[in-house]
Amino acid sequence: MGIGSRHSDDQDSEFKSPNLMAERKRRKKLGSRLLELRALVPKITNMTKPAIITDAISYIHELKSHVQELSDEILSMEATSNEHEQKMEMSEVGSAQEMENWGIEPEVKVSKIDSNKLWVKLLFQKTRGGLITTIFEAMNVLGFVPIDMSAITSKGAVLITSHIEVMEDGMQATEKIKELLLEIVTTY
Amino acid sequence: MIVNPELYEEGSACIDPSHMQYQALQEDGYSQTMVQNCNSTNFSMDDQQQMLSYPQQDAAAAAAAAAANMELEINQQMGLDLENCYNPNNNGEPHLMQDQNHQPSWETHQVLNFNHYQQIQEMQHNSNNNCSLENTANQYPQTPDLLNLFHLPNCSSSVLPNSSITFTNPTHKSGFFGDLPNTQDTTVGSSSVLYDPMFHLNLPPPPPIFRDLFQSNFPHGYNFSGTRNGALFDGMEDTEGNGEFDAGVLEFSRDLNCLGKGKGGKDVKHFATEKQRRVHLNGKYAVLKNLVPISTKPDRASVVGDAIDYIKELQRTVNELQILVEKKRYSRERLRRHMTEDESVLEVESKNMMKPQGDSDQAYNGNALRSSWLQRKSKNTEVDVRIIDDEVTIKLVQQKRINSLLFVSKVLDELQLDLQHVAGGLIGDFYSFLFNTKICEGSSVYASAIANKLIDVVDREYAASQPTSSY
Repeated sequence: MGIGSRHSDDQDSEFKSPNLMAERKRRKKLGSRLLELRALVPKITNMTKPAIITDAISYIHELKSHVQELSDEILSMEATSNEHEQKMEMSEVGSAQEMENWGIEPEVKVSKIDSNKLWVKLLFQKTRGGLITTIFEAMNVLGFVPIDMSAITSKGAVLITSHIEVMEDGMQATEKIKELLLEIVTTY
Repeated sequence: MIVNPELYEEGSACIDPSHMQYQALQEDGYSQTMVQNCNSTNFSMDDQQQMLSYPQQDAAAAAAAAAANMELEINQQMGLDLENCYNPNNNGEPHLMQDQNHQPSWETHQVLNFNHYQQIQEMQHNSNNNCSLENTANQYPQTPDLLNLFHLPNCSSSVLPNSSITFTNPTHKSGFFGDLPNTQDTTVGSSSVLYDPMFHLNLPPPPPIFRDLFQSNFPHGYNFSGTRNGALFDGMEDTEGNGEFDAGVLEFSRDLNCLGKGKGGKDVKHFATEKQRRVHLNGKYAVLKNLVPISTKPDRASVVGDAIDYIKELQRTVNELQILVEKKRYSRERLRRHMTEDESVLEVESKNMMKPQGDSDQAYNGNALRSSWLQRKSKNTEVDVRIIDDEVTIKLVQQKRINSLLFVSKVLDELQLDLQHVAGGLIGDFYSFLFNTKICEGSSVYASAIANKLIDVVDREYAASQPTSSY
């Protein structure tokens, strides 16, 4: 494996390799990585290269089974607990209240930017029930393809702004789109 | 059995099994000639010796490659050191190569292996040739069931303990090897060869190593001391199937020829050729590569690098899960205690971070900050999930085809992740989004679950949208 190339004998050209330095560097890289691997693995039987790999393989198996074991345990614990349901209700009430406290009203704006582009702004109450998902779904149905999108949550409300690319026929009815979205937002 | 001392001195005692195999090599499976051979050449065996049967060479390579895996995973040591008797006659392996036209299928072999092993076991008892083999398998230490560690599909673990082929030479130190000095002092460990996980890789078979060597020494009587598993020997008597049985399994033992003393079994392996060593090592790299889910480049250094990353990720996941389990247990305890009181559940949970009370069953490290990070890649999608305490940050990069926002949002709802912030858009041909979410109280999702689910869903949708690429 290129041991001969280590001899720096200029006259004996059959030992010199054209990419001697590259090969050395490659070997060094592999060596240092193997060292790092060995440092990670707790049990070391041997210092030889194949032994490092073997130990790593068995360690990975061990870790995987450990992970499996733990996640099974969590799943079984999860199955018997029901505490989270109560919490969700609490926070939903909280967000409606908060919005009101800050004087935020639901809002929808739709503007035509280009021949096939729209700019959309939505402001609505944050609910746990997946209103955001519903909005996304509506936009999907309407044939909106987001060019960019931003959604921010604050003070119990969600602000979504997005540049949207629309198919030709969708462009006409910006007013209707706005009404539709507003309706979704307020009646959710 | 007649022991021929001359053979020992010649150092060609090791011919025996190979000779038998040599016969077998010429045919597709172990055939009757083997039996006849056995009968006619007066194999000499000390009592309780088993003969090694060597697999056909066309299975050799595949097995050889897996040999390492088997050997390492399973506590095993070679009982044979044929190196010395092998070397003088061996002018280099390549010329030993036979025409390989038989690439047995992996699964077939596995099944065959075990099936035949059992047959062989029975055959041992029924054997009535001059070789008078005994089944001494039970005399030798059963190899630890490390094979299970290897996650061999298709194998029934009930067969495993019997399947080990052990070469042990507890009483005859040098019998088989004659005057070979380096074998005299070592006691043979057990090498178990079960089956070849590398088989399906269809590696080129290794050369029939012993062919030439033993060919020239054939006319002599054979003696071999050193115990071998009867199964091996009997395998030679069997007809067709055994060749396959050995294919994935025994090649390993044939190629690793040394007498090893080490307990771990891993620390003593001497290969007859440099090529064997390389094949062995390459096999290991391949196993490692298959284990690690994310592979960047196919070269060795990258495989090792990816393995390092994967190990770190697994360790993070383990830590995360342990913290989760603790938290769940602890919060459960508190819940049960406070359920009867008038306090609302929320208030109870808010006290969660305090030090555990004296009557708590387990010590709970309320200050443990749960953190976890992993990445998953698929053909069209990359997912990066980071969790700190109860905030999950998800980065998704996906080839533009579908509107993944909707699907991701649905998944987040399912996982009870509360979306706090989303940002992203179309970059060239890709959608890139960043989701900041919060874990709902009491939910116990963990990073790998999130990542896997996301990748699954997005890939599915991507695949579903293949025919229509209007977007």
